[in-house]
Amino acid sequence: MLSKLLKYELKATGRIFLPLFLALLMFAGITKVIAPIGPEEWATPATISMITYIIILVGMFVMTFIMMIQRFKNNLLSDEGYLMHTLPVKPWKHIVSKLFVSMLWIVASGIIALISVLIITLEKGRLTKIIVGFADLYHQAFEQWGASIYVLSFEIILGILVSLASVILIVYASIALGHLFNQHKMLASFGAFIVLSTLSQFLFTHIHLPFGTAYFSNLHDIFSSPNDFLVTPAAMQLAIAYRIISTGILCAAYFAVTNFILGKRLNLE
Amino acid sequence: MPWELKSDRPIYTQLIEHIELMIFSGVYPLGSKLPSGRDMAQEAAVNPNTMQRALVKLEEDGLIITHRTSGRSITEDARMVEMAKTKLAQEQISEFLGKMQLMGFEQKEILTIINDMVQEMKK
Amino acid sequence: MSTIFECLDLTKKFGSKVAVSAINLKIERGQIVGLLGPNGSGKSTLIKLANELLTPTSGTILIGGKKPGIETKKIVSYLPEKTYLNDWMRVHQIIELFSDFYADFKPERAYDMLKSLNINAKDRLKTMSKGTKEKVQLILVMSREAELYLLDEPIGGVDPAARDYILQTILRNYNENATVIISTHLISDIENILDYVVFINQGQVVMTSSVDDIRNEKGKSVDGLFREVFKC
Repeated sequence: MLSKLLKYELKATGRIFLPLFLALLMFAGITKVIAPIGPEEWATPATISMITYIIILVGMFVMTFIMMIQRFKNNLLSDEGYLMHTLPVKPWKHIVSKLFVSMLWIVASGIIALISVLIITLEKGRLTKIIVGFADLYHQAFEQWGASIYVLSFEIILGILVSLASVILIVYASIALGHLFNQHKMLASFGAFIVLSTLSQFLFTHIHLPFGTAYFSNLHDIFSSPNDFLVTPAAMQLAIAYRIISTGILCAAYFAVTNFILGKRLNLE
Repeated sequence: MPWELKSDRPIYTQLIEHIELMIFSGVYPLGSKLPSGRDMAQEAAVNPNTMQRALVKLEEDGLIITHRTSGRSITEDARMVEMAKTKLAQEQISEFLGKMQLMGFEQKEILTIINDMVQEMKK
Repeated sequence: MSTIFECLDLTKKFGSKVAVSAINLKIERGQIVGLLGPNGSGKSTLIKLANELLTPTSGTILIGGKKPGIETKKIVSYLPEKTYLNDWMRVHQIIELFSDFYADFKPERAYDMLKSLNINAKDRLKTMSKGTKEKVQLILVMSREAELYLLDEPIGGVDPAARDYILQTILRNYNENATVIISTHLISDIENILDYVVFINQGQVVMTSSVDDIRNEKGKSVDGLFREVFKC
């Protein structure tokens, strides 16, 4: 059932994002083609094309944010919820499908934005330069750190994804909490968001401290001696792992709140 | 024959009467097959359960025969139909007589009026 | 016969407003049941509680002996009083969605009915009139072979011709083992198809009876009785 939900979620959102991606790449291409000489001599069409490109770029990121909220709120907690919640599907699957698809579009938007920037700025030979640069960086890092570079990159990617998930889940939890109120649901959601984020911040800095002291002192050493920084990947790994775990716990908490409300406290009026 | 159902009497008794009338008037001739209960219910715009009940009653009365494989049909026994017809006529007439008595007519007077009207209609 | 729908001291409050008040009700399988009451009497609330769209304040509701959840959603086909379909979808996409999620959905049945109404399966819902959308929803709901159909105001805002079509659709797809609960305040239109009625007012069950009993014992129609019971 989860795969079916994902399929419909992708269909519902893809019809917005795919044209946006296409438009962005197209305008990046157009800008590139009609403004070959360089920024000093840009003609009006090139300016217009560039501005359009920027608007679409900004619009795309705003859209990922709007869609994240809209798909959850409209599809699950307003009229469309009448259908979604009468499907024989457990609430957690609804949340997971929305979460994954939201994450997917945010990551895809980032990649597409990067590609579009490359298209605009790309000159002959620059791509190879970039690749060579990356290869150099990789070799340097590998020489310094050895195979643990893979673990580290994996950790960094995982860390980014978990942080992304926590941002989305805190929004879901806020909307769900707002839904518990009989009136002013939007305002209540906003309030819930502020309370949740403050609470999470508080937990981060206080509750984890005893456990984290070792790590923090470690971190202090790392930053005070930048040369050591490169030679202690283990400390880095530990630091990121710690971050991943604590963010993961927050994610689980937000998820549990959302799931409980959708499963046990639903009130569609 | 359109299904006209009144709102103050149970629907299934009205369905029975209606189907009887369709049999007597030859809409469903002797031995002919009846549509399925579901189709009849839909035609009459009534609940299939109610139609089912009416059909079962007609079966008990011997007007309808249920075959195990081929659905329902009207009985081929003309005598049976005749009896049911007479019974319905008697019911109607006794209701009519009751009303006439209420109006204060004597039996003789009623017969006279009927005779006169029949003569009139013949012309 | 077994019970398909049961309420035990079921209560639902919205803030201080009591929408459903300690209802006890039992509905047996194999009937078409009218849930009748004036506007705001708690009909929709009761149906939404059965679909787990609302959470009871207290008491229990059971569908085929189970509390609302995944298992009951598999056997309940629900027509809400509002349109819940995504505007951007095409009819055939929604049919695919229903076939994907409901094992008892019969797509051929849906396509047949669409055809008889001259609705193009490739049309988007956005381009349809409100009445057509309602018909599409009813077609979807009646194309399932569910054990319990919960139809909330199916003949609410439609013209008499559409009303006839809707009743025909319900009758055509109804099978004798299923139960249909229809909530409405337009009683005279549907009373010929009902086996059983539940009168509900101000969140309470006022009366339950078979339609034949009402006609036999009181010599009046359900509509007539309703007008008497709910006289202003």
